Amino acid sequence: MSPTTNPRTIPLRPPVYHILLALVGRDRHGLGIADEIERASEGALELGPGTLYRSLSEMTDARLIRAVPAPSADADPRRKYYRITPEGRELLARETARLGRLVETARARGALPEQA
Amino acid sequence: MSRRGSGWHGWIFRCLLRLYPGWFRDAHGEEMALLFEARLERAEGRGARVRLWWRTLRDAASTAVALRRRDSEGGGHRMETLLQDLRYAARHLLRSPVFTLGAVALLAIGIGANTTVFTVVDALIFRPPPWSHPERVVHVYQDSDDGEPSSSSFPATRDMARSDVFAAVAATTPSSATWEGPDGLQQVSTEYTTSSYMEVLGRSVQRGRWFGPENDVVGGAPVAVVSAAAWHARMGSDPDLVGRTIRLNGQPVTIIGVGPEGLTGTITPLVTDFWLSISATMVSGDFQVANLERREDHWYEVLARLAPGVTVQQAQAAMDALAARLAEDYPEYNRGRGITVFASSDVRMHPQGDGQLKLAGGLLSAVVLTILLLACANLANLLLVRGFSRSGEMAVRSALGAPRGRVARLFLLESILLAVVGGLLGLLLTRWALQALPALPLGDVLPGKMALGIDARVALFSLVLMATTGVLFGLAPAVRTARSDVARALRDDRRGSSTDRGSSRLRSLLVAVQVAASLVLVLGTGLLARSLAALQTVDTGVDADHVAYLRVDWSRAGLEEGQAQAAIDQLRERLGALPGITGVALATRLPAQRSGTTTTEVEGYTPPAGTDAVELPFALVTDGYFETMGIPLVQGRLFDDDDVPGGSGLSIVIDRAAARRFWGDADPIGRRMRGQGSEAWTRTVVGVVGDAPVASLGESPRPMFYFSTRQRPSAPSYLVARTSGDPAVILAPMRRELSGLFPSAVVDAQGTLATHFGSTLSTPRMAARAMGAFSALALLLAGLGIYAVVSFSVARRTSELGIRMALGAECSGVVRMVVREVAGVVVVGLVVGVAVSAFATSQLSGMLYGVGALDPIAFGAAVLVLLGVAWIAAWVPARRAARANPVEALRVS
Repeated sequence: MSPTTNPRTIPLRPPVYHILLALVGRDRHGLGIADEIERASEGALELGPGTLYRSLSEMTDARLIRAVPAPSADADPRRKYYRITPEGRELLARETARLGRLVETARARGALPEQA
Repeated sequence: MSRRGSGWHGWIFRCLLRLYPGWFRDAHGEEMALLFEARLERAEGRGARVRLWWRTLRDAASTAVALRRRDSEGGGHRMETLLQDLRYAARHLLRSPVFTLGAVALLAIGIGANTTVFTVVDALIFRPPPWSHPERVVHVYQDSDDGEPSSSSFPATRDMARSDVFAAVAATTPSSATWEGPDGLQQVSTEYTTSSYMEVLGRSVQRGRWFGPENDVVGGAPVAVVSAAAWHARMGSDPDLVGRTIRLNGQPVTIIGVGPEGLTGTITPLVTDFWLSISATMVSGDFQVANLERREDHWYEVLARLAPGVTVQQAQAAMDALAARLAEDYPEYNRGRGITVFASSDVRMHPQGDGQLKLAGGLLSAVVLTILLLACANLANLLLVRGFSRSGEMAVRSALGAPRGRVARLFLLESILLAVVGGLLGLLLTRWALQALPALPLGDVLPGKMALGIDARVALFSLVLMATTGVLFGLAPAVRTARSDVARALRDDRRGSSTDRGSSRLRSLLVAVQVAASLVLVLGTGLLARSLAALQTVDTGVDADHVAYLRVDWSRAGLEEGQAQAAIDQLRERLGALPGITGVALATRLPAQRSGTTTTEVEGYTPPAGTDAVELPFALVTDGYFETMGIPLVQGRLFDDDDVPGGSGLSIVIDRAAARRFWGDADPIGRRMRGQGSEAWTRTVVGVVGDAPVASLGESPRPMFYFSTRQRPSAPSYLVARTSGDPAVILAPMRRELSGLFPSAVVDAQGTLATHFGSTLSTPRMAARAMGAFSALALLLAGLGIYAVVSFSVARRTSELGIRMALGAECSGVVRMVVREVAGVVVVGLVVGVAVSAFATSQLSGMLYGVGALDPIAFGAAVLVLLGVAWIAAWVPARRAARANPVEALRVS
């Protein structure tokens, strides 16, 4: 697998980070992930179908997430559900911590308006 | 899922998905489309939809490229897996040699038989002739006396050539000759053609030159052009051939050119060795020269190239006008005789023969398609059985972590390997068959040799068909394995109890199809064989068992005009003195032989067609002919001293069919006939003899007449003798006496009348043999199919049968039970087969003699044969199972 597409590379590419984030707390299918990302980013990030599923595929291969059975029997059988793995969780935590330090730095330098 | 309004958007998006690699599309395509459609629904207004499309397109382009690049970088790895799998598949196939051999043989036979037959049928019926712009070439036919398009008289071809609807008109007539080649005398096929021939066909010679107008008239130098095929095959592509003089029928002919490659003659697949000029017609004898000027003799086929801008219809109109003019100028020959123009695409050999040709071609194609169907059904059966019996192994592989796609790929690779090997073998078979074909005694099935090459399209068609079968049925178990629940598959395999219901039904269906298809073929064989038997025992009206014949070429014996009768007398006397010989005669033809006819008017008889003349076959015979052949005198007298040479009167003896046809119950003696166009009634009936087969065995009696060498002195070519013993024994003494008397008379054929009659049956015998071979193959295939199904079902039920045996079931009872299960399927196949046959054999009725298309004996026999084969094929494995030791059988499970 060529290194450019390795989803584990830090800093994480935005789709990878957002997908991991969307899967924290509950299993979702692709469409659910896309909706959640759009909601969480307040509409700023709309993943195209190609980007979304390419990322899901690569992240599954890298064992950051895995496919799981649908949570309920009446779910649409065409949709595949994903769950974040412990590894994915750890990676998400590391990246979030890095971003957190980055925000601290920015705030220390006055690049951030005062918190409301 | 296609919501209102999103229909065509969704469709375009699905097309867009094609950009992605297949595995990605399979895994996510459906969901990607759902996502896109959900977004599309939310996009309000045109602008939003355009923006959505823009983003989606950009996204698709970039991700698809990235994914494809990644795939190709990882390709080395994938290739390695593929090779590994191929090796594995090959090894695996070799480990079950019986299965592999069977499957490969099926493929080879199916593809080989199909490609061979379709190559022949294509060459005979479909392949366009190797002419330049064949669509501008037409065939022109004068009507026969029966009003059907037929051949034309040479003077009429000259009239056609003067019409301005044609750019060029060529006349041609096939013939044959004896060539004094480097390896002795050889029979070659020739074609007399005019100088315009190459212009009509739009081809040109590769060496030397073609005939010029000076060669179109008798008296010019006799010249020949050798065909490219004969130049290669018979003359070793001799570069110095042009200008050399060869001898055909003993006459010198100068070779002036070598024909173009690929052009084998007027009738496309048949090979002409030499084209001869009109100035060389004396090679075939005086009659060939004489008919050039006779409007009553129709010897020539006409090929013409339309003048620029002229349509077939316009040419037809011009020929209608010509026919009307000829009817006016030569009413005695041409009244009511039309001229018909055919586009060259509408004629294969001849308008009157094409129907028969297409029927034979269609029949042959149907037969081999049936064989192909059988082979496919059998292959499917084999693969299904093998696939399901291996589902356990595949489940183990899956359980051990082999990706399911890869397991399926193994099955697929096996099928493809089989198809490739079988296909190659099939093509080898085809090559061999096509080389052997021209050597077969095709008799009058084909009036000559054929030039054949494997047709790539046909080969490809068969290969694709068989490969598809292989892949489809190889894949069915693979798909099942890929889908199946590993645990269940393992359990099933160990217990061997639950055969997949669907698959067993499919296998039963395949067996029924095989039984039905082979029944049709076996029945066809039965009908042809019975027809052949009827032909062989037909009462010929000739006592054929004690007659031998020599065919004598008198042309170099140097008999002068007045010497013929003396020569005949001498010959009859000398041969008659040989021990055992009881009769000697000469005649221009043997019974059951296509030969000359003459257009004759019969006093007091009007043919039903309304013409004033009939085509009558005739023979010129010496004294003793009827006695020698065993043809009885029915009425009147035979030829005797009253029949003297000279004068215009001619005594004729007619057969009973002629007497009945022309004069009914009235006394035919003293009635008269005349050649069409002659003034006086010159031929007088003096006697009536029994009917002998005229052109072929099994035909209904046909009118013909005989006249005597007493009145027309010449030496006929067939020397016949009757003996009290075996006729083959007297051939050598006959030849000895002949060459003692006439050292330069050449014997170019000899035999007994019985073998001659036998050889006239070569066409029906060929048909029956070919059909027999095909149906034997079909029976074998059907038998194998049943055998495989029963073996498989028995193997699956080993433990059940073991328990039954352990509980005291009789061995014969178990056999009966197993056989009964397949019996139902066989009966269904038989019923369908009989129904199809009843329809199919009605197409065959034209080829049958003395047996109906629904002949109950043939039907009954065919059903019995199939029942027998089915019973053996089921009994053998059932018996084996029942004989097995119950303890062993139980231990297996």
